[in-house]
Amino acid sequence: MTARRRAGAGVPVLLVPPAAIGAAFLLLPTIALLIRMPWSGLRGLYANSDVSSALTLSLQTATAATVVSLLFGVPLAWMLARLRIRGLGVIRAAVTMPLVLPPVVGGVALFLALGRFGVLGRYLDQWFGFTLPFTKYGVVAAETFVAMPFLVITAEGAFRVADRGLEEAAATLGASRLAVFWRVTLPGIGPSLVAGTVLCWARALGEFGATITFNGSLAGKTEVMPIAISKALETNPDQAEALSLVLIAIALVILAALREQWLRPAVSP
Amino acid sequence: MSAGPDPDVDAGLDAAVEVDRGRFRLELDIQAGPGEIVGVLGPNGAGKTTLLRTLAGLLPLSGGYVRLSGAVLDDPAAGVYLDPPRRRVGVVFQDYRLFPRMRVLDNVAFGPRSRGVARTAARHSAQQWLDRLGVGQLARRRPGQLSGGQAQRVALARALAAEPRLLLLDEPLAALDARTRATVQGELREHLAEFAGPTLLVTHDPLEALLLADRIVVLESGRIVQQGSPHDIAARPATDYVATLVGVNLYAGVAAGGRVELDDGGTIVIGDTALTGRTLVAVRPSAITVYTSRPDPGSARNLWPGRIDALAPLGDRIRLSVSGSPGALVDVTPPAVAELGLARGRDVWLATKATEVDAYPDQG
Repeated sequence: MTARRRAGAGVPVLLVPPAAIGAAFLLLPTIALLIRMPWSGLRGLYANSDVSSALTLSLQTATAATVVSLLFGVPLAWMLARLRIRGLGVIRAAVTMPLVLPPVVGGVALFLALGRFGVLGRYLDQWFGFTLPFTKYGVVAAETFVAMPFLVITAEGAFRVADRGLEEAAATLGASRLAVFWRVTLPGIGPSLVAGTVLCWARALGEFGATITFNGSLAGKTEVMPIAISKALETNPDQAEALSLVLIAIALVILAALREQWLRPAVSP
Repeated sequence: MSAGPDPDVDAGLDAAVEVDRGRFRLELDIQAGPGEIVGVLGPNGAGKTTLLRTLAGLLPLSGGYVRLSGAVLDDPAAGVYLDPPRRRVGVVFQDYRLFPRMRVLDNVAFGPRSRGVARTAARHSAQQWLDRLGVGQLARRRPGQLSGGQAQRVALARALAAEPRLLLLDEPLAALDARTRATVQGELREHLAEFAGPTLLVTHDPLEALLLADRIVVLESGRIVQQGSPHDIAARPATDYVATLVGVNLYAGVAAGGRVELDDGGTIVIGDTALTGRTLVAVRPSAITVYTSRPDPGSARNLWPGRIDALAPLGDRIRLSVSGSPGALVDVTPPAVAELGLARGRDVWLATKATEVDAYPDQG
């Protein structure tokens, strides 16, 4: 009986040490942070106005970037999933580029496109007197650039496997294409859309490289949490730790919200 | 073919369907008058679902036309193609395709809502349709909480609530278990009788077609091989497929002087001496008598030897599969099997009267 159970478990012994080391490596930093946290002085640190303004700015810009990503990313995902056009594969590869691009490079590219003398940015400046970099809107642009692909690939996969039969049924009942999309297709991918939105928001919230490259770090204006943490680490490590704790708490909430998606072993994201 | 199109086709469906899909080609003319239920019967892969999709507008025609109530829905030569929402063709899909995240009531209200009816009015009308189909009490459920028979009725209510000009049913009873089928079948016939427009019912189940349809069109390999009343189809099948479906022995051969020389060997004496040329002969399994030794010549004009290949119970009878020239399906009673000692491998004699044999010209 014992022998059979052991055979059923079927774990190759050689895989155990690297697996344990991998898990420890991923968990240790968070544990260290919690151990070293200056718990008694936290209240004073959070009262600091720089901290609260960085947090507010982060939540605002990440949420705005997520809304922008939904408005443009969901239609884009639908096109990528459903259209049969030559060259679509190239577009798909291009729009997911920010996933693999170093964020700093993304920031430089954004600057060349939307900066004051950028390909598109110069016209924004000439015609509207509006410059994107070093503003809140610049932060939203940088975060959207980095985070939207997460939403696009999640939604695209869901659109691809969505039940076309239901869409056909809706069409025979008199629904226009837009009504089919709005009332049948979109509700059908609901769970994936929620997961993609949360992923997108979390990525936007954590964005550092592209944001600092494109917008610098103006306190209260473009200095979002990750930038504030990085700066604080040099001058006031306790504050860096306190700010990190906030982001850890947010990450835990996200994990709890997505447990249906991720914590079940057999379900792919 | 034998049964002509309905004279009132202007108010019904009139279609000449041509679809090319690589190696498969569907080519047929089909008509259905107002209130008429046409059963499209055929094996899997015959093109039944393709036909249904072209009529619903889910698949464009390669050639031909579809006209409904005098309006052209599809005509590639004239550059006309109406997409599904503009056709008013209701479909009850084989897997029902109810919207899983909507309540039953909103599923049924979907059609009226899509055509611009206000939410309250659409829900009111949906409730009426559900009541009419006897599932009004399920309005607040989700499709996942319905049994097969309930889902079937909700799907029909949803299609009818959209006020279609043509109703298409794809294997309406196939997803139901045997016990539910019997009840739903009877109800379905009543509900379809109330629908004023033409109905097309696609199925591979002959019983479903025979019981529900006013007229049957038999489809094989993308073409119509036979059409007529359920009685005609059952009594005089035109192909082996139909004969097998309705459980009749069908033989093809050449008739002359009251005898048919069968293509696969053997001769059958028929009553009709005037019939000549290519002929089909249909013999019901219950019209054949089995003997365990050669009988004296009696009134049966056809007598031939064979060997029992298989026995299978079929309702209150036993169906024997007998090889010989020709081979035949023969129905006998269980006591006869016991008394005669009929068993697999047993040599027997088969007999049938010329008057029990139905011979008719082969139009294939």
